[in-house]
Amino acid sequence: MEKQVIQSTGFRNIVENGEVTGFQVKIRLPYYRGVYLSQIKAGHLIVDGETFGENEIMWRVNGEDYTYADMKKDCHTHWHPMEPATLIVRKPGGLAQGYHDLSYGFYCTHSYMPPAMEALEDPDKPSVVYFVEFGQNVNSRRLLIV
Amino acid sequence: MYHYEQKGPKRGIALYSYSAEFGFEKTLEDCFEELKDMGAHGIEILANTHIENYPYPTDAWVDKWFALCEKYEVEPVEYGHWIDCRVLQDRDLTTEEAAERLEQDMRLAHRLGFHIMRTKMSVITDDLAPVENWREIITAVLPLAERLDLKLCPEIHIPTSLTSQMIKDYVDFIKETGTKNFGLNIDFSVFRTRFGEGEFVSPGFVPSKPEDIIPLLPYIYCCHAKFFEVNDDFEETMVPYKEVLTILKEHEWDGYLLSEYEGNDKYDYGYEVGQVLRRHHIMMKNILGY
Repeated sequence: MEKQVIQSTGFRNIVENGEVTGFQVKIRLPYYRGVYLSQIKAGHLIVDGETFGENEIMWRVNGEDYTYADMKKDCHTHWHPMEPATLIVRKPGGLAQGYHDLSYGFYCTHSYMPPAMEALEDPDKPSVVYFVEFGQNVNSRRLLIV
Repeated sequence: MYHYEQKGPKRGIALYSYSAEFGFEKTLEDCFEELKDMGAHGIEILANTHIENYPYPTDAWVDKWFALCEKYEVEPVEYGHWIDCRVLQDRDLTTEEAAERLEQDMRLAHRLGFHIMRTKMSVITDDLAPVENWREIITAVLPLAERLDLKLCPEIHIPTSLTSQMIKDYVDFIKETGTKNFGLNIDFSVFRTRFGEGEFVSPGFVPSKPEDIIPLLPYIYCCHAKFFEVNDDFEETMVPYKEVLTILKEHEWDGYLLSEYEGNDKYDYGYEVGQVLRRHHIMMKNILGY
């Protein structure tokens, strides 16, 4: 696992029945403890200016796939900080070979922060209240796909 | 299982301190070996950080956990966990739901050989007041706590004062219920008398006096030995350690002082929290004599 939130390992196109249906990229939880899926406010993935949201993205956690709607209700599946999640992104044809600028936003609720403070956070915007051990809401990285 | 015979305040480590390095520079076994290096015999883990496949670790992982405790002569002291009452974003958990989740952690703590839990209740205000139904949640699980010999302890942390209403509420609850399964973990940040230049200080914070801890001793089952700066002479410059530890010794308080380093600089490139913890342990060893 790398210290960056967006991991270089795991970034590739997805081939199903001989067709490229999309791509995947792994992210780690930049928080010192794990969270349940319902604690995650998942935002948008931007790749070279193209935006992907809940209609295109599934999260794969512990080998199972979850839509954003599934995640909001799921307070039993735990995402561990040592186990990166995989974003499965639908995009027929996938990404072209070469460099891509990726940016993804998500925020996790913490329970020991006052609710009024947490309500200010937008997963697609830089953290309003930033703590190094909670990580930054939006993370970016430039990576190669083959 | 390994048991450290020393009576009185004992040295231990909260693995939270390794947050920036855990899973990168340090494995779980590395952390245990660091405890051994420091002569620390007690450990606190964070359930959803240090337990693989939390909340459902495999039997193989649990066997490994006990093997590490045995090999490095470390006893499981405190199981750090949260009651995340706001785990759902659209509503708070009901008392029954919160209690059910809490019981799951209690069973896991018991399975791993712990007797003390650092029970972090969701806070609702800037001054860290716990959720309004905390009494109902705790009351619901006391029978299981008694059966599993567990003590649930909220952590008392800056900016809370040892003479505050929050502490009085916890102590009143203990007295009213007569329970031996709910108590306190005092984080030494409450004694902090000095702050760095430009450092954030919660408005209204008044440092507790070392002697404020005395009436609470019967309810304190472990402490977070919070530290900020240990100088080259192995003295903590911001918390009156000598006074606090001397009180604990003189009153024959028996429990663990779990070193917890919370400074954000532990995330800086090249920072070595293990060396900072060693400074802190030299300091405590000099005061305690062991």
